[in-house]
Amino acid sequence: MQGSAKRMGTMTDVHRRFLQLLMTHGVLEEWDVKRLQNHCYKVHNCNAQVDKLEDFINNINSALESLYIEIKKGVTEDDGRPIYALVNLATTPVSKMSTDFAENELDLFRKALEMIVDSETGFASSTNILNLVDQLKGKKMKKKEAEQVLQKFVQSKWLIEKEGEFTLHGRAILEMEQYIRETYPDSVRVCNICHGLLIQGQSCETCGIRMHRPCVAKYFQSSPDPRCPHCDDFWPHEVPEVFDPEKEREAAGSRSSRKSLRSRQH
Amino acid sequence: MPRFPKPRLDFEQSIWDPAEAQDLVDTVVPSAEGEEEPSSSSASFNIFPSTPPPLSSSSSFSLLNLDSPEKEGSPATGMLSTAQSPQRSSPSSISHSKLDEELEEEMGASSSSSQSADSESLADTLVGGKVTDLVHALILKYQMKEPVTEEEMLQVVTEEYKHWFPTIFEKASSCLEMFFGIDVRKMDSAGHTYMLVNSLNLTYDSVLSDDQDMPKNGFLIIILGVILIQENFATEEDIWDFLDMIEVSEGKEHFIYGEPRKLLQNLVQENYLEYRQVPSSDPPCYGFLWGPRAKAETTKMKVLQFVAKIKGTHPSFFLDSYREALQEEEEREQAAASSLGSTSASFFAQHFSAASPGPED
Repeated sequence: MQGSAKRMGTMTDVHRRFLQLLMTHGVLEEWDVKRLQNHCYKVHNCNAQVDKLEDFINNINSALESLYIEIKKGVTEDDGRPIYALVNLATTPVSKMSTDFAENELDLFRKALEMIVDSETGFASSTNILNLVDQLKGKKMKKKEAEQVLQKFVQSKWLIEKEGEFTLHGRAILEMEQYIRETYPDSVRVCNICHGLLIQGQSCETCGIRMHRPCVAKYFQSSPDPRCPHCDDFWPHEVPEVFDPEKEREAAGSRSSRKSLRSRQH
Repeated sequence: MPRFPKPRLDFEQSIWDPAEAQDLVDTVVPSAEGEEEPSSSSASFNIFPSTPPPLSSSSSFSLLNLDSPEKEGSPATGMLSTAQSPQRSSPSSISHSKLDEELEEEMGASSSSSQSADSESLADTLVGGKVTDLVHALILKYQMKEPVTEEEMLQVVTEEYKHWFPTIFEKASSCLEMFFGIDVRKMDSAGHTYMLVNSLNLTYDSVLSDDQDMPKNGFLIIILGVILIQENFATEEDIWDFLDMIEVSEGKEHFIYGEPRKLLQNLVQENYLEYRQVPSSDPPCYGFLWGPRAKAETTKMKVLQFVAKIKGTHPSFFLDSYREALQEEEEREQAAASSLGSTSASFFAQHFSAASPGPED
């Protein structure tokens, strides 16, 4: 049905448009991704049944395999929202193309990243990061400038700021998990439940194991008496709620009626 | 869940040509003897991992490639290795001169056919790796909505592969077209700057958050298409009927386009569309035409091609519009040709009189 002559396997214009839009946004929450998928079908007037999101994405990923690009799914560390981003699986540096950030800005991010990974809480204070301004590679950067660069990172969804402290955005974790594990093998922390990279989470005060908040939520979901899975000691922290996409949608307010598609000859 | 990436890119036909290979060696070898290349480019040569790459490898995409040159010394499974050529087992932190030596051994020295078969796959893999790099870099540029210069692309492809650049560029462009529907389009006649666009000259992007500028190009293209098909004038009713089909309704905030009436008003203000009353209509009703800016920035043929693509058909399906579009093309070519000189003009005229007959009635 699609007009494009060059097509690989099952890749259609619906998939291509989806990729373009996903790329433009950088990272998207699952609810938005589903809407995006539906939109792409409609724009191409495709009356085919909308694929299940998982199949749709797997389809795209198998086509992109030879390019070392993949749509990756992750979960935000603070409240367990599922997120998706387009990630580069090859590790050859293309840093010369990143004209959006100068060398000194990239180095600032590197330093902030290192601090965040080393920290006890997964947060690095603004003050501490800014104090490293003199050690940056490239053009000399003043603290004021560095403050703005950090804000730029927040806006581009690489860092999250909370009360003057910075941690990694879910997107950064999604895209850089491997890099972080390889670069900081000694300081890196891992969740006891999902074994994924852990930046923010809760820890057992007795044996020191750590868990992501959403992992804690799932693990202790139906336990009235939460206990550490490792040492069985009383779990001292508040157990968060499991993320419920339905509740989110109700809160956001969704469209009630859906008009049926009319086919029309143009 | 983590998948092991394919070890090499499968591009059609080997690009191997013994004469070219010799050239490659010639360009590669002198550079090893010349002054030391900046370490960052040698980093891109760490494509021979001594152990298979980690299964769920990922590194910073887009803006933050933090793999700094001095990390070359990191362990074999380290981030500077890629999955692209597992056939070779060499230490991962390989320097220019060592690579040159190997290449020379493989390609230049022996003339036996078995050796050249090895080098053939090696060359394919090496160049294929560069194609991937270029694709990644161009995707980055697309996300940042920036043009890309030939110089920047050569930096990605690296000095060593300068000779292969036309092939690499062509393959990367066709990848972008195939997988993402992105065109790599020349911005100037000299061909040194390129823009990454979706289908048409008007770039198509959209945002989901409310606090950014509402992009309208994708919406605009669709509207221009409707107008064109409706013989260059589409009544309001025509427009709303069409938008209904893609679930864009008046008064309702669409999650990508926003409120459509407002969007249409903006487009009129910006001269992309014209809003006119249907002559002698009572009660007065209104419609839309292409505005002067749309006429300047795109062509009927392009919009028609877009609409045809969406409908899964060919532009010639829209008989009248197609004829008009062809005519417009012809006029443009003639206008361009007349400024080029007489010989070119006759070429174009010939070319178009052959093509003009158009679809069968």
